[in-house]
Amino acid sequence: MQGHEQTAYDRGVTVFSPDGRLYQVEYAREAVERGAPAVGVAYDGGVVLAANGRRRSPLQDPDSVEKLHAVDDRIGIATAGHVADARRLVDRARVRAQEERLRYGEPTTVEALAKALADLVQETTQTGGSRPFGAALLVAGVDDRGPSLYQVDPSGTPSGWRATAVGGDGALVSHLERRYEDGLDEAAAAELAVDALREGTEADSTPTDLDVTRIDAAGYRVYDEDERRGLL
Amino acid sequence: MANRTTADGARAAKTGTTTVGLAAADGVVLAADRRASLGGGFVANKDVSKIEQVGPSAAVTISGSVGAAQALVRRLRAEASLYENRRGRPMSVSALATAAGDALRGHPVWLVLGGVDDGGPRVYELDGGGGVLADDYAATGSGMQLAYGVLERRYDPDGSLDDAAATAAAAVDAASERDTASGNGLTLARVTVEGVDVRTSADPAEVT
Repeated sequence: MQGHEQTAYDRGVTVFSPDGRLYQVEYAREAVERGAPAVGVAYDGGVVLAANGRRRSPLQDPDSVEKLHAVDDRIGIATAGHVADARRLVDRARVRAQEERLRYGEPTTVEALAKALADLVQETTQTGGSRPFGAALLVAGVDDRGPSLYQVDPSGTPSGWRATAVGGDGALVSHLERRYEDGLDEAAAAELAVDALREGTEADSTPTDLDVTRIDAAGYRVYDEDERRGLL
Repeated sequence: MANRTTADGARAAKTGTTTVGLAAADGVVLAADRRASLGGGFVANKDVSKIEQVGPSAAVTISGSVGAAQALVRRLRAEASLYENRRGRPMSVSALATAAGDALRGHPVWLVLGGVDDGGPRVYELDGGGGVLADDYAATGSGMQLAYGVLERRYDPDGSLDDAAATAAAAVDAASERDTASGNGLTLARVTVEGVDVRTSADPAEVT
């Protein structure tokens, strides 16, 4: 009987356990931790995003493994966890960014976009019959307040960071905590992001599987293969 | 460009402005006058920007109702930006023309769309009925017949961008001389693979 009741808490996403936990949300976090990690590092003037696209087979086209996404002129999103779930959030972000431009005639901010996505994610943790998003996001970019990096987790909580990671275990964030310092330039931020990524990945990454972009006032720029090789 | 829709709506809104677009060998030139008028009889504004960038290498001239045209430009920019972020490359000029044609159907707005993509320089004329017509050169607005007179004589498909700019300026100038709803200078845009360069002045000589 006891066992039956415990099962019930973890079946319904909208049902709290007696100690106040939402098991489905915690399982979604687990799905994120199992995913290939993505790192964001803010620096003076912009944010660097880096991720390892994990290919299922050497036959898979590396360009089809998408971890970093352009969202607006000066906003990008890195994802970890269920790719299918993440893609929906990324497209919602793109549409939202344009809706804000249509409504106000000016670009949205990183914070506003992250919070709008967080609201969408939160809704799935409180709606009967739904499943939480099994993905976490890093929303990164430059707006009228300068460089900005936000994380959105499967519970729908937004949080602002100078450097952080989604996916993988805590080793990445620990590495960033040890090495991050204020006043980084783009090159140092990119180096730190890739170092953290290697810290949390067993296999050696190759320039083919590594994705790096930086977003600054000039826009969203993808590092080419030579630049990625230089970082490894 | 009329900034109020009068009793006979779309037709009245059309009667103000002269805008042209020409494809040259290495780009597109768009040009427009700068006058906004109420039904062509009163000058409401003497410094109106009638050329708007809608993509990295694409721009439109607007004529017709100001409000509808401005809303259309905002929507087109959003469509182009969304397309580029989703697909990782800019919208082709024909895709922009298709989206713009759908967006303006039923609105009292006439556009000339000019852009450069993998297929080279492209010019489209779009009408308020949603018509999308590709052409080498096009003109809209109440001064269009005067402008076409110049374009028919002077248009050279193999001409340089500067040649096309001179022709476009001459077309708008001819219309500004005789059409009371057109005038107050010139806005001229050069659209190339590098981007969109828009210049405007009350003195047409300063921008050509």
